Amino acid sequence: MTTTHPSGRTAIVTGGAGGIGRGIVRRLAADGFTVVLADLDETAVHEAAAEIGGRVEPHLLDVTDPASRRSVVARADALGGADLLVNCAGVLRDARVRRLEPALFRRLTEINLIGPLALARLVGPGMGARGGGAIVNLASRAWLGTFGSTAYSTAKGGLVGATRSLALELGPRGITVNAVAPGFVDTPMTDGLPPEVRRRTLDAIPVGRAGRPEDVADAVAFLADAGYVTGQVLVACGGRSIGDPYLARAS
Amino acid sequence: MSAPTVEAVVRGHGAATRLVTDALAVARPTSPSAVVVPAVPDLRPLDELTDERLATDVGDTLDAVLADVRAVLDGAVHRLVFVLPAAPLMATAGGAAASAVTGGVLSMARTLAIELAREQVAVNVVAVDPRATTVAALAGQLGVLLGEGGEAITGQEIYLTAGTDLGRIRP
Repeated sequence: MTTTHPSGRTAIVTGGAGGIGRGIVRRLAADGFTVVLADLDETAVHEAAAEIGGRVEPHLLDVTDPASRRSVVARADALGGADLLVNCAGVLRDARVRRLEPALFRRLTEINLIGPLALARLVGPGMGARGGGAIVNLASRAWLGTFGSTAYSTAKGGLVGATRSLALELGPRGITVNAVAPGFVDTPMTDGLPPEVRRRTLDAIPVGRAGRPEDVADAVAFLADAGYVTGQVLVACGGRSIGDPYLARAS
Repeated sequence: MSAPTVEAVVRGHGAATRLVTDALAVARPTSPSAVVVPAVPDLRPLDELTDERLATDVGDTLDAVLADVRAVLDGAVHRLVFVLPAAPLMATAGGAAASAVTGGVLSMARTLAIELAREQVAVNVVAVDPRATTVAALAGQLGVLLGEGGEAITGQEIYLTAGTDLGRIRP
């Protein structure tokens, strides 16, 4: 279900052309936001914006590039300034700790952790000056620990940690900062899983299905307007984190 | 008869390094062990977290933690403990970078605990607070984690904070 809000609010969604990001953009656009759909993939950015329609502004963004980060915030400023930042851009490529290349570890830190922090710094002053706003960071269930996921879980755990401290720091400026931690979500990123792994994963999800991008979008949309909720992690995993995640102990 | 004491390896340059060294002199580990003490960045308002500072305070610090972990795993450790400052781990205003590091290490420890269980390596986090954590308190805890029976404790975070974190949601 979507909600109609007063017009004029602007959101930045990084990674907005990806599976989860596109679902978030679609939801926020339906909720009345003008959305800067920011992503690294030029073709996908324009294709996603055209597919969703409405007040969606495509914008190329490399979250690891300071100039590119400033550019996307400037684009939102031209639209009146970001009222909502959704840090959704992320990369899941990893290895067990003994095989993990330091360069890959650093790359995931830059994309999944440093990029979101830098964007929060860029939008914070404007949000505060306009009386407040919301930052929603896409963490992951991997924050709780996941086999073979040292770099990804470290970055996402770092994002959860930063979310909590940012909530304390930015609360007095009227800015809420929260995280959403999705579990297994059907996206192009998870399409390549071996069938057996997919089956075992689904078996470990109490609600009996994989997540959908709109499930994550629901959580983001809630936090976008939940002015009395801050510093929290909303785990959207179909209950997998309450039961036995199974894959965590896969041999 | 109790197991013989072995020397634990200490890696990292965090503020609690001296506390850890002093505690290990008392703790008497009985399993091959390593304690990593990350150098968590100082508190700094978000507005001052420049791109360069994020790269060093967060990126370089986490790189160093990974290097320390890889180094100790090249040895034959059976117990790995990260010692972190409790304040940024729990959250503190002006601590975005510090909390990014401590939160990252906490999740790294959880993942390592899952990953290394098959190798009989136990991995845990101990959170310390300079106002509340004495050498004796840390020595007692490390004695449990690095001693006989410590293999049953893995993937945990233990707060040696004398209750100063009560009433708060932990990460």
